[in-house]
Amino acid sequence: ARKLHGRKRPYRTGELARLLYDDNLTPTEVLKRWRGEEDEEAEVEDEEEFFRKAKESAAEQDDRMIPDYDYEELEKKWTDPENFEALRKRIAAGGLHGRSGD
Amino acid sequence: MADTSSPPALHFTGHRHLVERLVLSTLTGRPIRVTKIRSSSVTDPGLAPYEVSFLRLLEAVTNGSQIEFSYTGTALAYRPGLITGSAAGHGASIDGVLRHEIPASCTRGVSYFLLPLCLLAPFSKSPVNVLFTGPGVITSATPTGDVSVDTVRTAILPIYEQFGIMNKLEIRTTQRSNPGPGGKGGTGEVQLIFGHQVRLPKTVHLLNPGRVKSIRGVAYATGVSGANNARMIEAARGVLNPFVPDTRIFSENTAAGFVPAPERNNAAAKRKMGVGFGLSLVAETSTGVRFSADVAVPVEGGVPPEDIGRKCAFQLLEAVEKGGCVDVVAAFTALTLMAMGSEDVGRIQIGRDVLGSEDIVQLARDFKTFGLSGWGLRDAGEGSEDIIVSIVGRGVGNVGRKVA
Repeated sequence: ARKLHGRKRPYRTGELARLLYDDNLTPTEVLKRWRGEEDEEAEVEDEEEFFRKAKESAAEQDDRMIPDYDYEELEKKWTDPENFEALRKRIAAGGLHGRSGD
Repeated sequence: MADTSSPPALHFTGHRHLVERLVLSTLTGRPIRVTKIRSSSVTDPGLAPYEVSFLRLLEAVTNGSQIEFSYTGTALAYRPGLITGSAAGHGASIDGVLRHEIPASCTRGVSYFLLPLCLLAPFSKSPVNVLFTGPGVITSATPTGDVSVDTVRTAILPIYEQFGIMNKLEIRTTQRSNPGPGGKGGTGEVQLIFGHQVRLPKTVHLLNPGRVKSIRGVAYATGVSGANNARMIEAARGVLNPFVPDTRIFSENTAAGFVPAPERNNAAAKRKMGVGFGLSLVAETSTGVRFSADVAVPVEGGVPPEDIGRKCAFQLLEAVEKGGCVDVVAAFTALTLMAMGSEDVGRIQIGRDVLGSEDIVQLARDFKTFGLSGWGLRDAGEGSEDIIVSIVGRGVGNVGRKVA
């Protein structure tokens, strides 16, 4: 996600507010546009068929509460010290309460 | 709610977001019609067993609901009634416990039923007390993406506290179970007691996610060695301890339940069901915001407990990184409660990636379809990448309560 934030200002809040209630777009399309993944629109025709299939299979799925993560990706991400350190600012200074246990 | 002049039915298509739409329909009193439910599926078109079971539950806790299926189950008409809860003599036993049997073909965890039921419960006329039992109760996390019952108890129920709903809420797990063979069925038993009914939930302003101060968790091993718990806990702690020293994971090792499995020479034979293990982790911040993660062993097995522990820990870190005051699992609950609040602007800070998920975008649209207020979005600022969503409550609240 961090990398995406760098690119020509996708993820703009106002943009989402505008797209949110645009009924011509499916939620998947809204999010694609919002994330600025529209650039790939150049590839058309025979690839379009492929995408439609992919979309259909996504629509076949049931609702999930837990998103489907790729755990290998996650493992890679969180064993990277840089990401690990970046998250530290979200953590209260630990061990101050004297119950850090073991 | 469904008075003499009931509003025209709202029309939806597809099986996705069905539960969420049924809940919104019941809360707002708008009848709905859903068509094309898995109509393109060759193998099993129409409503799935767990969806039918949920409809039955809905019928049991309301009075005057009308549910009609088409012959193939691909279309559904629902006209909501009043939410009565577990009133004695209305499906519930004398002591006010409503038994809900989940069929053996159920592939979803019991949280699939618990979360929507919890949303209806505050607006019920009498307390809700439902015992989930039968051959389909899965208390663990499932491969179909449901959270475990421990996560519901430790991460979702506390959300209600923010809305002023905190008394007599309890989830009792009397028997744990993982999914049975083929991901179907389980032998669990869970009782939900929701004894706090309100007229309107409080308007909330959740704008400070705070910092993670502690991590709690439950490791459960059902019908298998308790050593699995120790191994999951050790692996999860290996990842999380450098972050948060205050990490405590409890271990629950229970025997598996039995299901009847009649044989030729022994009609009363029983067999163990729902063995397995899993881990539920909840990170709590200084302001009471909770992030949850859930992983259980897949039905086929073959995954060492260390992997489950690590996966769960990574999933938790991911949820913490996404930020905001609610995680993906809790967003539906929090947003719906806000929309049902008094006619005042409630605000909640939500992570960009949480808000920017398909389910939440669809939720925003469904809110609008049901005549609930549109969402106002703005940046949180202060170096945070989150978005603040403001929702005006509808002020309808508890119709049953108004009379009482």
